[in-house]
Amino acid sequence: MNIAKYPFAILSAALFTVMLITPIGSLSNLIWLSSVDMPVGLISSLEVVLFDFQRLGIGLYAVVIIGFGVAFSVAGLISRYSRLGGKYLFAVAGAVAIGMSLFLMVELLFQTQLLGGNRSIIGKMLHCVAGFLGGYFFYSLISAERSYTFIVRSLGILYAYLLLGLVLEWVFTPINASADFGFVLNDLSSAAQNALLRDFTSFFVATFIFTILGVITLNHTWFLSVGVLYFGAGIFNLIAIYVHGTEFNQIFISEFILGAWPSALALTIILKNKKNRL
Amino acid sequence: MKKNLFLCLLLFSNSSFSSYQFETVLDNLDDAWSFVFLSEDKILYTEMPGKLKIASLSDKTIKNIDNVPSVQYSGQGGLSEVALDPEFESNQKIYFSYSSKDKNGKSTLFLSSAELRNNALVNSKVIFKANAPRRSPVHLGAKIAFLKDGTILLASGDGFDHREQAQTLDNHFGKIIRINKDGSIPEDNPFINLGNALPEIYSYGHRNMQGLVVTRSGKVYEHEHGPKGGDEMNLVEPSLNYGWPAITYGIDYSGAVISPFTEKEGMEQPLLHWTPSIAPSDMIFYEGNVYPELKDSFLVTALVSKDVKKVTFKNGIDSQETLFSELDIRLRNIQASPGGIIYLLTDGPNGKLIKVLPKEL
Repeated sequence: MNIAKYPFAILSAALFTVMLITPIGSLSNLIWLSSVDMPVGLISSLEVVLFDFQRLGIGLYAVVIIGFGVAFSVAGLISRYSRLGGKYLFAVAGAVAIGMSLFLMVELLFQTQLLGGNRSIIGKMLHCVAGFLGGYFFYSLISAERSYTFIVRSLGILYAYLLLGLVLEWVFTPINASADFGFVLNDLSSAAQNALLRDFTSFFVATFIFTILGVITLNHTWFLSVGVLYFGAGIFNLIAIYVHGTEFNQIFISEFILGAWPSALALTIILKNKKNRL
Repeated sequence: MKKNLFLCLLLFSNSSFSSYQFETVLDNLDDAWSFVFLSEDKILYTEMPGKLKIASLSDKTIKNIDNVPSVQYSGQGGLSEVALDPEFESNQKIYFSYSSKDKNGKSTLFLSSAELRNNALVNSKVIFKANAPRRSPVHLGAKIAFLKDGTILLASGDGFDHREQAQTLDNHFGKIIRINKDGSIPEDNPFINLGNALPEIYSYGHRNMQGLVVTRSGKVYEHEHGPKGGDEMNLVEPSLNYGWPAITYGIDYSGAVISPFTEKEGMEQPLLHWTPSIAPSDMIFYEGNVYPELKDSFLVTALVSKDVKKVTFKNGIDSQETLFSELDIRLRNIQASPGGIIYLLTDGPNGKLIKVLPKEL
């Protein structure tokens, strides 16, 4: 468990950092929109912040994981072979990782600033502060003994993060969400639109909430429920194709993956609980 | 020659599925960006690295034009649009847009005029330099059109990193510019007497305009790249605000929300928007008679969808048809010859000029 905790600590710290970084761009954007008299309100702000956390964050997450992977490895070596060490070393490493990642994204890849929140000096500083806090969080995760529950929770949060995109799409922009599923919402009858909106939205919101409850309580039932629902979606997708003759839709692969992930977490909890009882 | 034509037809046509056949008339063009017809047989075209050339379509000879100013060929920048003066036959004047560095080392958009004489540019003069300095030459716009009164319209893009400045009038980011042929400012420009507003501005709130057309009725149409989604086609009128980036139907390339709003009073709605993006690259309003089915339609080339969209409007409602998708190649520019034959320019290095043959031929 001592070694296994490190990659999961990086995954968790990176997600925590992304959660801090994406609102910087969202807020700077909202402030600008307000300055040109756009009717920015609570709902529209929430929409921007949540969508940015999910859609912008998911790309950024990969960048931060790589940056943290390198920076924390170097920090680990420094702490091992020198007197330097402790939480501030990793915090500084986190800040450097974010600063360098954002710098290199501009210089090596695009020559333009893809992150709106990183265009000002204050924005750049806030990004580095987020990296600093991410490094600090990483240290707090690795500095204590961790049991299997740490891994289950890390993977559960990551799973919920992926589901969040579907939740937001169905809650805020169902037309786009429908297009992602291969149909035009406005082409459907009103009754069909209603059925689709309520069923799809409740399905994704429910599985998201079940996952969060699983992460909090570590009760395997929540994860298993999510797994059953997505496995069910995959199975009935295949039945629709091969029994009812609907168009082939390879989304069933994603449905089986989304079913297998929480099921594996549920199984891990069941087995560990059984072992503990013995 | 006949054998080559036959091979080209064989390669590019699929007569069982298409009304049109295609003939490659020029190839190995080095990042060609725009072209205009000097006659039915001769074109004047730009290559982004800074070359201006004349090509004969019948014998395929290509001649370099001398004295072209140096350009900044990088990113999306370089020698961009070339346009003939409406009185070219008498004055031999041309106009061309390009990216270059200003005195502070920043990249921006330039518009020059010159006379084309004996395969060289003479009396070359910078008639406009955009007050839109940027670090790298991206989102320049650079399209040129002439209004009925002889003034020039120039599209000046938002510079990507400077998108918010498209909403303020003290700069040329995300603006359509209107100037006289000598670079002076028309007296009736909409913001000429407005405080800090730059007097060349004709309309604002644009992103990266890649199509700019004035129809025979004098109406101005433009299209512009949205980010991820939200490519727009607009009817441009003086002084109006087209909303970017305060309202948009697209999201950022990074996935971030640019604006949760798609409309606001005082900001114009597009005539149509393409979501997902097709990356429109050029546009003509076809008025020839060679393809009767295309007459009085907008023809929009696209980089991402690799086809041409035929767009018509009836009572404000657009109708679209996809053409030439069998070419399956990124299309950079489209022009109709004086005789009405359509030619397509492909994007990137090893570009081609493709003649569209009507099915009757």
